[in-house]
Amino acid sequence: MAYSDKVLDHYNNPRNVGSLDKNDPNVGTGLVGAPECGDVMKLQIKVNPETGIIEDAKFKTFGCGSAIASSSLATELIKGKTIDEAMQLKNTVIVNELSLPPVKIHCSVLAEDAIKAAIEDYKRKAAVHSTAAQSA
Amino acid sequence: MRDFVLCLMAHVHDCWHCGAKDAASLFCRYCNTIQAPTPDYYEFFDLPRRLALDPEDLKNRYYTLSRLLHPDRYTRRSEQERRFSLEASSILNDAYRVLRDPIQRAEYVLREEGFPVGDQRNKDVPPELLEEVFELNMALDELRSGDLEVLPQLELFRRNFLDMLARIDEGLEELFRRHDAAEGDERRKILAEIRSTLNRRRYISNLVQEVDRQLAARNA
Ligand code: FES
Ligand SMILES: [Zn+2]
Repeated sequence: MAYSDKVLDHYNNPRNVGSLDKNDPNVGTGLVGAPECGDVMKLQIKVNPETGIIEDAKFKTFGCGSAIASSSLATELIKGKTIDEAMQLKNTVIVNELSLPPVKIHCSVLAEDAIKAAIEDYKRKAAVHSTAAQSA
Repeated sequence: MRDFVLCLMAHVHDCWHCGAKDAASLFCRYCNTIQAPTPDYYEFFDLPRRLALDPEDLKNRYYTLSRLLHPDRYTRRSEQERRFSLEASSILNDAYRVLRDPIQRAEYVLREEGFPVGDQRNKDVPPELLEEVFELNMALDELRSGDLEVLPQLELFRRNFLDMLARIDEGLEELFRRHDAAEGDERRKILAEIRSTLNRRRYISNLVQEVDRQLAARNA
């Protein structure tokens, strides 16, 4: 099956590959797997606790070209957004942007799930942090 | 009610040779003539449907039946008897291969009870393993790019996975015993548990194979 130009572009020059310090309280980590194919994706965000804005995002994906492109695009899309805005991001945006065929939709779902998981992880850490700060 | 009884005793039939009712198992108990063999592995060995089987007992049954079904015994028998004995021999071998292996045995029972087991390609990562699968992929990536420093880490992963498999196998033994002691709904609940344990087991043993394959490719 042929990949679209946009997929190839992200696949050949993935943006924001790498990792952030997962012990940093401002970093949220999302790690997800796709039941259909066994691909795994890790996506991390660094949030400014004052503004709630995602200042940095990194990913590492072991999977198909569409999954790599989806996560690459996802990091671009959420950078500079607030976590609430990023939480609204739907996989259909990725599908349209990358012209993914139906069999590759689950790859974009994986990216959406990874974003949500990263945000939830960040919120969990922030909550622990604030209760710890209060009781201190 | 009558249908129910008939269906329960599906393998009880009249002897095709002497006509005796309830000739039952593989050999007629009146005239000792071979009967159409049942395709059910447990019935074939005349065993109750238990998951915990005594391997010695199974082996003895296998040898006894092999002797009774030996082709030499059928050279001068009728066409029909020769055909039954050939069919029975092939069922015997399949049944023994499956029942002697606890994993295949469990998969067989699951299938028979209507719990299809995930196929070989089942790729769904068990959630508690996501982290490890990710780290493993990282290490394999580095190995492929020629970094030999990850070798000890891969060896560690491998040992870890083998440990998990050993623990899973112990857990299975326990589940088998519980299954055999249970009935009805409870039994089905345990079967479902066995199925997910087997899927998890398969996933992990695929990981071990993957590590081995990559290490072998590295050494080649
Ligand atoms: S094929 Fe599964 S994530 Fe792309
Ligand atoms: Zn008879």
